[in-house]
Amino acid sequence: MSLCGHRAGIPLSRREMLQRSGTGFGALALQAMLAREAAGKTKAPPLPGKAKRVIFLFMHGGPSTVDLFDPKPLLKRDNGKPFPLKAPRITSHKSKNLLLKSPWSCQQHGQSGAQVSELLPSIASIADDLCFVKSMHCSNSRHGGALLELHTGSDTFTRPSMGSWINYGLGSENENLPGFITINPSGSHGGAGAWSSAFLPAKYSGTRIGGKNGEMKVPFIDNPLQDRGKQRKELDLLASFNQEHLALRGADSELESRIASYELAFKMQMEVPGVQDVSSEPDHIKKLYGADVDPTKSFGEQCLMARRFSEAGVRFVQATHRYWDSHGNLRKEHEKLSAEMDKPVAGLILDLKQRGLLDETLVLWGGEFGRTPTAQGSDGRDHNPHGFTMFMAGGGIKAGTVYGSTDDYGYYAKDKPVHFNDLHATILHLMGIDHEQFTYRYAGRDFRLTDVEGKVVRGILS
Amino acid sequence: MIWRGRIEVTFRRIIVCLALATDSLLGAGDEWAFAPVGNPSLPPVDDSEWAREELDRFILAGIEKRDYLPTKAAEKRTLVRRAYLDLHGLPPTIEQIEHFLGDEREDAWGKLIDELLESPRYGERWGRHWLDVARYADTNGMDEDIAHPTAWRYRDYVIKSFNEDKPFDQFIIEQLAGDLLPATDLAQKRMQTTGLGFLSVGPKMLACDDPDKMRRDIVDEQMDTMGRAFLGMTIGCARCHDHKIDPISIEDYYGLAGIFMSTKTLTKYSVVAEFHEHDLTEESHQERWRKVRDLEARQKKKETPKEEMDRLGAEIADLKKGLPAPFKVMGVTEYPTGNVRVHLRGDYLTLGEEVPRGVPSAWTQGKEVVMPEKQSGRLELARWIASAGNPLTSRVIVNRLWRWHFGRGIVPTPDNFGGLGERPSHPKLLDHLAQKFVESGWSVKAMHRLMMNSATYRQSAQADLALLEYDPENKLFARWQRCRIEAEVIRDSILLKSGRLDLKMGGSMLVVQPSKYVDRGRLKEHSLVPRRTVYLPVYRSSGYDGQKAFDAADPAVPDGNRRTSTVAGQALYLMNSKLMHESSKVLADLAVSSAADNRPAWLIEHILGRGATKDERLKGESFVKNYGDEKDALAAFSRVLLSSNEFLYVE
Repeated sequence: MSLCGHRAGIPLSRREMLQRSGTGFGALALQAMLAREAAGKTKAPPLPGKAKRVIFLFMHGGPSTVDLFDPKPLLKRDNGKPFPLKAPRITSHKSKNLLLKSPWSCQQHGQSGAQVSELLPSIASIADDLCFVKSMHCSNSRHGGALLELHTGSDTFTRPSMGSWINYGLGSENENLPGFITINPSGSHGGAGAWSSAFLPAKYSGTRIGGKNGEMKVPFIDNPLQDRGKQRKELDLLASFNQEHLALRGADSELESRIASYELAFKMQMEVPGVQDVSSEPDHIKKLYGADVDPTKSFGEQCLMARRFSEAGVRFVQATHRYWDSHGNLRKEHEKLSAEMDKPVAGLILDLKQRGLLDETLVLWGGEFGRTPTAQGSDGRDHNPHGFTMFMAGGGIKAGTVYGSTDDYGYYAKDKPVHFNDLHATILHLMGIDHEQFTYRYAGRDFRLTDVEGKVVRGILS
Repeated sequence: MIWRGRIEVTFRRIIVCLALATDSLLGAGDEWAFAPVGNPSLPPVDDSEWAREELDRFILAGIEKRDYLPTKAAEKRTLVRRAYLDLHGLPPTIEQIEHFLGDEREDAWGKLIDELLESPRYGERWGRHWLDVARYADTNGMDEDIAHPTAWRYRDYVIKSFNEDKPFDQFIIEQLAGDLLPATDLAQKRMQTTGLGFLSVGPKMLACDDPDKMRRDIVDEQMDTMGRAFLGMTIGCARCHDHKIDPISIEDYYGLAGIFMSTKTLTKYSVVAEFHEHDLTEESHQERWRKVRDLEARQKKKETPKEEMDRLGAEIADLKKGLPAPFKVMGVTEYPTGNVRVHLRGDYLTLGEEVPRGVPSAWTQGKEVVMPEKQSGRLELARWIASAGNPLTSRVIVNRLWRWHFGRGIVPTPDNFGGLGERPSHPKLLDHLAQKFVESGWSVKAMHRLMMNSATYRQSAQADLALLEYDPENKLFARWQRCRIEAEVIRDSILLKSGRLDLKMGGSMLVVQPSKYVDRGRLKEHSLVPRRTVYLPVYRSSGYDGQKAFDAADPAVPDGNRRTSTVAGQALYLMNSKLMHESSKVLADLAVSSAADNRPAWLIEHILGRGATKDERLKGESFVKNYGDEKDALAAFSRVLLSSNEFLYVE
């Protein structure tokens, strides 16, 4: 109501406000605040969405999907020979463009016959739950640009993260939790830009839970007094001062919202640590994620935490696994990284499935780009934004599918290419949002997650 | 618009881009902002007593036209707090409040404003407003978060410029072309050159494998920031196509781009790129520094014998004795001058006709701005922007000042005066102010006096219910808009009230080498330094949790219109942050060491700047009694006051 600058959400009508403040406080004020939250919903007529929540397993650095999911007989045959197609105009490193065969083998799995590397036996075992998009491409050959493009749709300007857009569009499922949580994200290559709400209201910004396992926290969630009773007394006194202050001023929905925000924070403080605490999970679940032993423990715990947040109603949860940037030492690094990541990812999908959550949860796996089929040194690959694989599972995705392809050497997306903008359009579609109608007015222009691009990838929808 | 070299989609891009824009075209089309600033006569009003300044007549006429009345003036106690928070970003002490209440002179209010404008606290507060527009940051952000080790000089320059009431036209010229201005001495040269930080501190993709694209993206960002900051214009759209809403064609864009392409921002456009810095070290010192660096290089050689090492060390120490640090400052410089060819559909791989460098003729009403042969033309562009005849510039800046005082602009979109921005609610008032501004010699302080002296500014927030219902957004300015204090003000006020605020001015807290990555681990360390928030380094890729929660400006883009949100994360910060708990402990100590018989009452007086009511005294006493340890209780009581709406809102 009282607009100081411009303010998020649509205010209640004055009359409604007056009625509310006439009838009492606490719960009503909280309702008022929640109504305000809800008011920021999508302009687009919501379509029937299949997915309610997203879990994004981000492989920072660019995993070599040509090794993991996209084997090419010609690459094996022509090992050491020059790449016969035209090399890209722009590359991250100068290269002789000599082909490098995969050090590992892939095999077909499940009904779909999807190719999965021997490095990923657990993921291979659930191939029929997955949909592999083998023709991904993006516009930037550097980590920062590609990472931001994957998260925000733009490698040129600062734009809201997809998690922010989704929360802006659908609002919260659980008011006691943040709607967008990113676990252990990278501080480099765009840093907060990857989870920032940019010009969307700040409440849609991602909440970073960073640090070592066991020490990750929502900012300011811990009360230094460690005494809930005492804090309750403080908040009660605060509420009483604020109410007197308000009574002298008549109705003001913003003052009321602020009063309510303390109650919300208090509840959040009670709920978040419990949701986050993976130690309470039974042993067989920890085992499923590999959260019990190394080398899967760290990422296993993060995947488990992601499930717990998601289950509790966090719209968009991201967990980051790093660092897949094997310019050299490909063999050793990719073997180590695969061993850390394989079981936790498969465990998460299996767990969601057995809980009946997979149908309404979209799981997305992938990096900011893939790696070149050509060699960098003798045991490395350069960044490849031109053709790589991502996979998805759950909410509205056609399980057991392989979609699109790269050329004979796995360099360029060839058949049915899917750009990050198309990926975003598809994610929004799965959540019941038409990406072309879903806009936010900022500085006189309507912005979209997909800017002026993006096509829904119909071929992967169930 | 985005410029990516994906030719096949650019046509579609233009069409969708326009669709996104034209959706909001209701009522647009006439380019009101380009019309010459008029000298509107004062409108007639019924109430001849109310107005204190001429500007009030415009406001009052608008209110009367709708059959409402302005709101009564606020009490002196309310006004003094409003003035301190507005001009200093700090609440007054109880003594300062009492002093003003006791001042019964006719012009006490005017005297107070003068006094506040003389304090260096003023520049820290209003300089910060400008830094929002300049999307100021101490690091690059985007893909590679490299330090801007000398950007702080620009921040200090902005603060100083406000404190000195530098004429705003000069301020503009220095920020765009300070290196090209004549200077009589080194001090002036340094000052003018430092202004160039404006063009350099923007976010850039520094790890772009395509140096041509990098250069053009940087130029695009600079032009867009310049356009929004000074002219309220979005220029970026014309990178790909004629702007269908604002008067800028694709040729205009590349004419302007020629000026910026003839300007050097980086010294290296390959990965990872490096910024250009001006070295303005005194010549004799430069010589000594060169020697130091030579000797240091020799020290680093492995084969240097130990005795020589010692000798070198001694020599270096000797040279450095009394030697001031080199004066380097981040800023653009000249490149070989050249025109740019139109990039068809924004793609620099498909080039069209060459366009001569220049300012769009639609902007200059046909009066050509002549470009020099052998210089980029930045100075000519800057002078045109800062000219009295430019209808946009003065309107844009007075509207910004109005926005920062009143919480809402006369044009509610201060960064966009184009067809997609909102129209002015009081167009004649805007012209009146723009006229006064130029007449005053572009004096920002003169504008503060005018605006704050007005009856409009002095209104109470306690408005009539009918008025509130009719005009919830306060478009009529018929009352004061109650308003939460900003992120920096919250932190600074808490530090101030707990007696911990360190008022040291200027300088840098960054510990970095040029073009090196910043260490985000230091953010926590920075945030604990009890200096004014404006001096904390701004990391574009990260930021302070507490500041972000309270809507501090995102340095990614110019922002002259911060939003104000209310979210649970803010409450968590006030409930649990280290700042709050440390400050409240100090406050408890202060309360105990005060001679007050009722300590909670003393805290109310100290923190809120007013006496406690009887009821509050009782509540305070009983709270302390029931809480446990007295000091802990007083600390808790302090937190309550520092989190209260009375503390967090400007009445």
